[in-house]
Order: sequence, then structure tokens, then C-alpha cells
Amino acid sequence: MDLENQKRVKEYAEQYGSENLVVLLGASEGEAAGLAAETVTAGDPTYAGPLAGVSLGLKVYHICEPEIKAEIDEAVYEEQVSMMEMVLDVEDIIKEMSAIREQYTKY
Amino acid sequence: MNRNAVIKGTGYVLVHGPDFVIHNGTTQTTERVVNPSSEYLTALPGHLRSYDKAVNYPPNQVYIGNLIPEDLAAYEFPWYDKEVPGAERYGRFGEIMPQDEFLGLVQACDVFDLVFLEKDFTAGVKEKLSAHPLLDDSILSRLKDGVSYEDIKSYVEEKHAEPLYNQGQLVGYVKQAHDIDASLSAHVLLENLVYKASGVLALLHLIKSSGSAKEDIDYVIDCSEEACGDMNQRGGGNFAKAEAEIAGLVNATGSDTRGFCAAPAHALIQAAALVKSGTYKNVVVFAGGTTAKLGMNGKDHVKKGLPILEDVIGGFGALIGENDGVSPEVNTDIAGRHKVGTGSSPQAVISSLVTEPLEKAGLKITDIGKYAAEMQNPDVTKPAGAGDVPEANYKMIAALGVKQGAIERSAIGDFVRDHGMPGWAPTQGHIPSGVPYLGFAAEDIISGKIERAMIIGKGSLFLGRMTNLFDGVSVVLQKNSGRRDGASVADLKEPAVRPVIGIAAEGSELGREVAYEGAALAERKGFKAIVIEGEDAHRKMEGMLGSGEIQAAVTMHYPFPIGVSTVGRVMTPARGKELYLATTTGASSANRVEGMVRNAIYGIIAAKASGVSKPTVGIANIDGARQTEKALLALKEGGYDINFALSQRADGGIVMRGNDLLTASADIMVMDPLTGNLMMKLFSAYTTGGSYESTGYGYGPGIGEGYDKLVLIVSRASGASVIAGAVEYADQLVKNHWKRIAKEEFEKAYKAGLKEILASVKTRTKDIDAGLPGDEVSSEAPEVPCKEIVTSEIHGIEVMDIEDAAACLWKQGIYAETGMGCTGPVVLVNEVNEAKSREILVKAGFIK
Repeated sequence: MDLENQKRVKEYAEQYGSENLVVLLGASEGEAAGLAAETVTAGDPTYAGPLAGVSLGLKVYHICEPEIKAEIDEAVYEEQVSMMEMVLDVEDIIKEMSAIREQYTKY
Repeated sequence: MNRNAVIKGTGYVLVHGPDFVIHNGTTQTTERVVNPSSEYLTALPGHLRSYDKAVNYPPNQVYIGNLIPEDLAAYEFPWYDKEVPGAERYGRFGEIMPQDEFLGLVQACDVFDLVFLEKDFTAGVKEKLSAHPLLDDSILSRLKDGVSYEDIKSYVEEKHAEPLYNQGQLVGYVKQAHDIDASLSAHVLLENLVYKASGVLALLHLIKSSGSAKEDIDYVIDCSEEACGDMNQRGGGNFAKAEAEIAGLVNATGSDTRGFCAAPAHALIQAAALVKSGTYKNVVVFAGGTTAKLGMNGKDHVKKGLPILEDVIGGFGALIGENDGVSPEVNTDIAGRHKVGTGSSPQAVISSLVTEPLEKAGLKITDIGKYAAEMQNPDVTKPAGAGDVPEANYKMIAALGVKQGAIERSAIGDFVRDHGMPGWAPTQGHIPSGVPYLGFAAEDIISGKIERAMIIGKGSLFLGRMTNLFDGVSVVLQKNSGRRDGASVADLKEPAVRPVIGIAAEGSELGREVAYEGAALAERKGFKAIVIEGEDAHRKMEGMLGSGEIQAAVTMHYPFPIGVSTVGRVMTPARGKELYLATTTGASSANRVEGMVRNAIYGIIAAKASGVSKPTVGIANIDGARQTEKALLALKEGGYDINFALSQRADGGIVMRGNDLLTASADIMVMDPLTGNLMMKLFSAYTTGGSYESTGYGYGPGIGEGYDKLVLIVSRASGASVIAGAVEYADQLVKNHWKRIAKEEFEKAYKAGLKEILASVKTRTKDIDAGLPGDEVSSEAPEVPCKEIVTSEIHGIEVMDIEDAAACLWKQGIYAETGMGCTGPVVLVNEVNEAKSREILVKAGFIK
């Protein structure tokens, strides 16, 4: 996750409280999604950004996961996300995301 | 409605910059600030590739046009451990320049005394650059003498200069241009000067590959991601004009177009619109690259044990010109754009760029042969976790097609394969953005492989912190619709409205300018000529003849096959009358008399195709004239209508004497090519003392049975007026359908018994010309070895012996061909076999 985004996530967590924050990802593959998820839960695995060594344990989902899809108006989802849903390896993304959440999410 | 602009040429360059990776790539400079003793920085130098490795890297060979994208798909992924056998620095689109030469070019591009290089380093680089085919004195003379190492050290350590390195050695510096102004700091200037130099290199290759003259360029649009200016106007700009200045585009002005990675596509549309509107005729879209993004994903590459793949700076250029009826069109009527209100979801983006413009034009997603969006090399992006960018784009386009019902969901994979390509471009933002495919697209459309291509540029504007909006534009390239009257592209390869004649006149004794003067002179007379430059001008010329870009070529020497010889055309002094000399170079036959009979027919073809409807024929009074006369009379008797001339001399006859030459008693004077060559020189240069040929039309077109290339010869001493004359000669031949005339004349001659007449000539001349090598070879023809590429010319063999010499080599298992070089007959062999072939030919007595 790029340094600027890490900074923003960290600031929001301080401002609103980690328990009140959900991070929504749009990464195009499982590995990248997993890395970003790890960053906002366990901390920056590359030890390069503001979240290096900071375990926020935030709730984190990918936009294509069923939990999120269920929250969104069907027509809007169709218009905004359905095309990418077709392109992405959603199963792999769900697998990666679930694994990270099980391990690191505190909320 | 004005016609669409066309793509007239493209150029692509890479610059290998391993030391720039270490010292100037932002990933590395940032790391040096944050964590100077990091493992990454320590390991980095061990992961840098040598220049040769960078040249041999398959994606780089695709970028400069030595491989095509389909070739790359055949290499097993990943590619970083693959090498292209026989890879070369130069490709048909451009080159891969080594770092040391590039540092020299950077200095040559500096007009404010900001770049200094070490003395010995400069000397070495100067020598290397002087061998560069595209850098002439106007650029090379800009190189300074060099400074001492101590001087460099003091500027770097004490005066805020940016160091320049080569192979780990400090070899120069870039000075700051202002004490306080951050926009003119040494750091910014280094990036901008590197940028400028790579842009200039791209321009030079573009001009060369387009075959256009530098003077013809009206406008240049720089579409990179860099900014130049001082603190009062940080992005003041016009890199474009600064680069055009160094490249020598004297008639151009220009401007910069910016839009992050989308800028090249924006610029392409702007250029096409400027040309289509009639504002300018020839507009260049181009960009170089700079050091900042070198090694951008280096950490991931090093971590995974890969070489640093982002070690090259990219540049490109495309020439957009008026519709010529042949080149692929840029159809600005089918142009997509991501609007402010479009939204940023991938779906919205792809719809706005792909499906919306296509729908408006009544086209389906599958009507576009190839899409080119972000052509990033996946070898670079995949290990860095960014996936295969081109593939992701193709999948998105396909998915949109599924949603629209244009393709089945199960066909997404096929769509990606058929309408996509593997990525091959370096990851420098604007460089991979749609435009890497322009060169191949033009070729694929001309060859009929595809009908249309779509170039898509996308940009992430948030990086500038001014907006979170996304951006992008797209445009369709398509097959040329041909002439307005509905003639097809194929028809146009024959005479166009105004034939275009290429002049490949490298190596003139009168200097390079003579070709340009000749072209200008021809232009004033209403003919269209373009100068083809560079040491591979001949190869380029062949390509242009093949593609129909030019209809004829004028050049100084050309290896015509045996059977082809040239018909010269001069102005005779006594009556100011034109005379066709048949022939002046080449060899119509290894047999003298057969050759002269053929020459008579070649002369008739050239004269008729130049508009002389009933040319008269005379035979120069030289050895073999009487036999030739007999044969031609027999041919006439057989029904081939030869209009014989009568000698001015009292005794008449069709055999001509010296004064008949001066008065041009015949329109066509038949002779052997050696005599013709002599005459040519005399008639073209008798007023100047010989070293400068000032009158006439040159040595003329190569003519022979079934020979369908129109190549005209001038000599190294031919002046501008003769070159212009040759252009005029070529123009007439094209307009009068020379190929059709040649075919008709041969048909008529054969009908009149040419074959039998030539056969009897050969048997008779054997007795007459006893002692001359005859046709014995055919009776016991050796087996021809496997064909190979023959580029080495062996000179000095008698024309009569030339076939025997080749046969002699065949017997020894060496493949050889015969041809006519500029100084006489040649045997052509593969360069590997040259030494051995010479040995054999010396032994056999063919050469000394």
C-alpha cells in the first residue's frame, strides 16, 4: 500500500477510532489485496510506511466480497463493479482476504 | 469534409542507464535518504544488467522493431532470463543507446553550459558518437573538450552540482543554473537534460524511419511528463521546440502537451486534428524519458533475485501527415474521452474510452483488430505485484463486450489472445501508453493483418494532487480508404497522382547536401522527391519501394541482377537533343552481342515510357555492332517494330559513328554498358572538367525482363541538377506505366522470335569472339548449395566470367550469386565465406 494511503488510514484511525473504520479495497488480484489488508491490520510488511510496526487490526474487505456486495444497491453495483467482478479472480481474493481477517482483525 | 491524417512513420529508442538507476532513480534516492545502509542499496549493483544483456532482452528488441509482439508471445514467461540470439543495437524503428554515448548526447543537447564531462571520457565518447549514423556535425560539434577530474569533484562536493557516473566512475556533472531557484537546481536540470537528449534521439530516428526531410516538419508536440521553467513559471515548457532545435527541424515550431500517461494519446489526436484541418502538413508527436522512474520497482526485483529490469529510458516519435492515399489513417471521428462527469470505476472508464466511441461509429468491440492501452512489460510489473497490465486491460474490454452481448463469457480468453498483445514497453508512464504499438499498427494495417487498431491513453491525475479524477482518451487507426475516386490501396502502389521518388544518395563525392538540393530543384519543377538518409538507406529504400511509400528510387549504386541494365539519358551538345544510352551500368547478358540486342529493347522501353512514342534506334560502332545489327534486323523482320535511325554520315546505315552521338541522330544509341558508362560521364560532365556532372538525367532505370522495381542510378559525381533530372525521369516512367510498357515490348519481341535470334547470336559469336568465355557452364552445371544471405561483394571479375566464377564457388559448396555493383560485376557471398571464396577465385584465376 502506498505511503500516502497508509498515512491517511493511520490518521483516520486516530481521528475516528479503529473500531469505527472499515477499509475497502479494490486491488486487482489476491496477493495485492492480501498485502494491503495485512498493512491495515498487522502493519506494513515492507516496513516502509507509517504503518510499519503499527497493528491497527482494522476491518478490511475487498469490494467484490459477498459481505460488501450485499450492502450495495444492486443497480449501482451492476453499473460500477460488475464488469471488474467478471475480470477478477474473486475466489482467490476472498481466500486471501478471509485469511488476513481471521489472523489479524481485532474488530 | 477534410480527409483523415495518416501515420507516416514512427521511431522508438531506448537508452541503457545503469548508473542513472543507482544515482537518479527516485526509489533509490528516496531509500538513500530514509535508509542509507539498507540491504537493498547494498545488493542493487549486483542486480544491474550489462548493456549487452539489455540489448538481448526480448521486450527491448520488440520496442525497437527487431521482433514483433507476436514473437514475444512465443517466448516462455518470464523473459528476464531469455536472450534474443543475434540481437542488435539498431532496429527498424530505432536503437538501444549505451550510457556513455548518451552522456555525450546529453552534453550536445545542453545549450547553457551546464553539463561538463571528464576529458578522456569525452574523447572516447566523441569517437564513438562520430560513428553514429544519425548524428551529424551540427550535433557532434556541440561536444566540448572536457574538464579535469578535480574540477568535477570540486563542483560536485562544493557547488551543488549533480554528479554523472559511468560504470561506477565519476565522469562529469550538471551545474545548477541558479543559486536559490529550486526549479533550476542541478537535480531538476539533470532530469530535464536527460529528458531532452532522449527526446532528440527519438526525433532523429523518427525522421529517418519516416523518410521525410527535416525541413518538411511543421510542428512538434512533446507529450512527456516532465516540466521545465524557472520559479516564476515552473512548467513554462516548450521542451518540444528545444528538442526540435537540436534535431535540426528548422521549419518547425511546437508545444508541450501534458496529461500524465494519457498525454501521448491526447497529442496524437491533436496532431491528427491539426493536419486534418489543414493548419499544418506534418506534425510530430514525440517524447523522451528521464531518470526518475529507473529502478522504480527495483526493491521487488532484487528481493526476488531478478535483474533490475527498469534500466532503460524510453523514447518514441510518430509523424502525422496529410493523407497520401496509402498510409493508415488516424480517424478522429472515432475518438473516446473520459469526461469530468464520467466517474472513476473501471467500468465507466473503459466504456467511455472503448465502447462509447465505437457504438457512435456503429462498430462492435470485435471490429477493432488490436487494442493498445497500457503496454507495460509484465516482466517488470508482475514481480512487483502490479499484475499483467495489458492483459488486465484486455480482460476489462472483453468483460464489457460480454455485458453488451457482443461476445460470450466463455470467449474472454480468446478475445484477449486475438485482440491483445503481450506488453513490451518500459514502465515510464507516458512511454507504454498506447503509443508503443503505433509502428506495428501501421505495418499490420498496411499488410492487411488487421483493419483497425485502437490507441488508448489513460492517466492518473491524482499524482499531481490537483484532482482525484481519472483521465483518458482513445482514437482509432484504420486502413486508408484510398483515393477519393475509390481506387484501392493496391492500385495506388502503381502511379499515384504525383509519384513520390526516394533519393538514397549516401556517399556522394559532392557531399550530403547535393541530394537535398536535387530534391528541392525537382520540387520546384513540380516533382515530389524525398531524401532517404543513413547508412542503411538502401534497406530503407527497399522497404519504401515495397510498401509503395515511394514509387521509384534514385541511388548511387545498386546491385542489379544479371539481365538488368540501366538506360541513361543525356542532353547532346550539337542539337540540344535528348539521347537514350542503352545501356550504362549493369549487364543484360554475359554474352556481348546478346547483351546489346537486349539493350536495344531496354532502350525502347525507357524511351517509350518517357513519352517518346516512336523512338529511333541506332547502334554505336563498336565491337559486336554488326552482329547486333543483323539480329535486330531479323527481329524487325519477325514483326517487332523497330524504328531504325540513319547515320548522318554520307554512307548512312544504322550503325552510328562518333558525330552521330553528338547530334543524337538516333533517340536510342545501343552499346555495351562499359562504353555507355564512358559516354554517360562525357555527356554529363564535359562542361565542368569531369568531377561534377551537371547535365542530363543520370544513368537511368534498371530494366530487365520481369524486373519490377524502379531504381535509377546517378553517380557519386552527379550534381543537384542531374539528381533532379533523375527524379523527373523517374516521375515520367511511373506516370507512363513503365512496367506495362516493358511487359508489352518483351511480349512483342518474343512473338517476333527473340528467343531463337538470341540463341543463334550466341552460337555464332562463339566463333567470332573466339577465346571469350562462353556458355560451357550450362552443359555441366554444378549443384547449387543451400541459399544463404549474401552481403559480401567480390569485385574484379570479368563480366564474361562472372557466372563461371559463381559456379566455381558452388562446386566448392559455397552459395554465391552474381550481380552488378557500381564498379562492375560482383559475386556475392555470405560474409562468413568471403575469405575462403576469394582464395578459391584467386586459385582459379578469376581474380588476382
